[in-house]
Amino acid sequence: MVRFENVGMRYGLGPEVLRDISFTLEKGAFHLLTGPSGAGKSSLLKLMYLAERPSRGSISMFGRDIAGTPRDELPALRRRIGVVFQDFRLLDHLSVFENVSLPRRVTGEQESAYRAEVEELLQWVGLGNRLNAKPATLSGGEKQRVAIARAVVAKPELLLADEPTGNVDPEIGARIIRLFIELNRLGTCVLIATHDQRILERLPATGIFRLAEGQLTSTTQKDHLLQEARRA
Amino acid sequence: MNRRNSAGLMPSDSASGATLHTIVAVMSFLACLALGGVLTLSRLASQWTDGLSGSATVQLLPSPQISPDDQVKEALSLVTQWPGVLSARALNRGEANALLEPWLGAGNVIDDLPAPQLIEVTLKPGQPIELEGLSRKLADTVPGAQLDDHSRWNAELAGFAASSAAVGWSMLLLIGLATLAIIVFATQAGLRTHREIVEVVHMIGARDIFIAKEFQNHFLWLGIRGGAIGLVIAALTLLGSSFFWDSRATPVAGQYLPQITGSPLLYAWLLMVPLSLGLIAMVTARLTVLRVLGRLQ
Repeated sequence: MVRFENVGMRYGLGPEVLRDISFTLEKGAFHLLTGPSGAGKSSLLKLMYLAERPSRGSISMFGRDIAGTPRDELPALRRRIGVVFQDFRLLDHLSVFENVSLPRRVTGEQESAYRAEVEELLQWVGLGNRLNAKPATLSGGEKQRVAIARAVVAKPELLLADEPTGNVDPEIGARIIRLFIELNRLGTCVLIATHDQRILERLPATGIFRLAEGQLTSTTQKDHLLQEARRA
Repeated sequence: MNRRNSAGLMPSDSASGATLHTIVAVMSFLACLALGGVLTLSRLASQWTDGLSGSATVQLLPSPQISPDDQVKEALSLVTQWPGVLSARALNRGEANALLEPWLGAGNVIDDLPAPQLIEVTLKPGQPIELEGLSRKLADTVPGAQLDDHSRWNAELAGFAASSAAVGWSMLLLIGLATLAIIVFATQAGLRTHREIVEVVHMIGARDIFIAKEFQNHFLWLGIRGGAIGLVIAALTLLGSSFFWDSRATPVAGQYLPQITGSPLLYAWLLMVPLSLGLIAMVTARLTVLRVLGRLQ
């Protein structure tokens, strides 16, 4: 589903922030991405959700070589990817319902086609009574749940999440984790960038990527990383 | 309850702010006045030339070779028998005086002037007439007779109407170009201001055309709203000037200078101004967004 081969990336003429990244994500896989701040996790995610192009190496998404994909064909690939941004990136002038509906709306679907699903999803993440609220009136945790609902509302084949449980209480965090597991069971490939111990302990990750100084230094199994985390 | 509207993706309080509405309204106001001027002048020029081209005038200057009565009689006899002439009639002294009265005023002074005798000639509509031959024949057979076929007036009026219309259309073109430039600027500013929104919408799979539609709809209604405001102000201005004109105009001015308003057709044409501004704004915004987004990753 996703294949990186010797990928390097730099912003403008700056130094490389990612170097020689190679890995593969299979359909239905569940991976975690961890590493210290500044290691390049967000840059790696940007490459995966097609916000940036690599300065070298090759990336293949859903069987398409990204370098050879025309710009006007990228939206179709992006619709197969759900993204939970660390800073949420909600549209402040839209309501909770409208924010969550966006991935369905941009495909040209009528509101009547997705209204019930969106409302059900918002009920599920505990925001059933905040459909018409604007993001400015939401707490950090509520914003995060809206961002997560928006990422999963179109049932993406690949879900990328940057610290998705960072601002929520344990109960909601557990719900979100269950949502990710359920999506994964339905066939969605999930990659979560996190430092959250609960996620590291609870998720059935098939692999853990560790980034340090722009390089993928190891692809460890969950138990190994948990031991590292407990030692730290 | 959970009632929702599908709000536009671009916040409505930004590029479409009061300033932009005001600018578009001013453009619409100027465009309405220019279009109103062009249409009014075209209509008047047409009326003038139509009226003049269907008639001619024979002027009989006093001549020692023939008495005034014989002069009128011979001229009428010649003119009425000329092919293409429908009728001819000599103006009496009172009618002739009435033509001079607006310039010279009422009173005995007109009676003392050696005003020429006039014969009003009505031509058969749509039938060719040899006016040059008639003019020569009149000059040869009736001493002091001169034919005025109004061709000089016609040419001058046609030239005046054409040059005025050219000025009006040039103004409309400039207003259109200025509106276009303003919308390009506002769209680019909107894209810069809402870069975050555009990025997010892109990341979730929106095509450029989807984003362009959001902007174009936004600017279509901006153009129509601003245009409608300008139209209303222009219509009130025209009605106000018409009222002022009717209450102040002298008989001479009222008879010979253009009546600015009055035609419902004119106002129907003015409705095209806000619609045109809306269309210009919509198409410009769409092309601008597609051009700017096409340069992005």
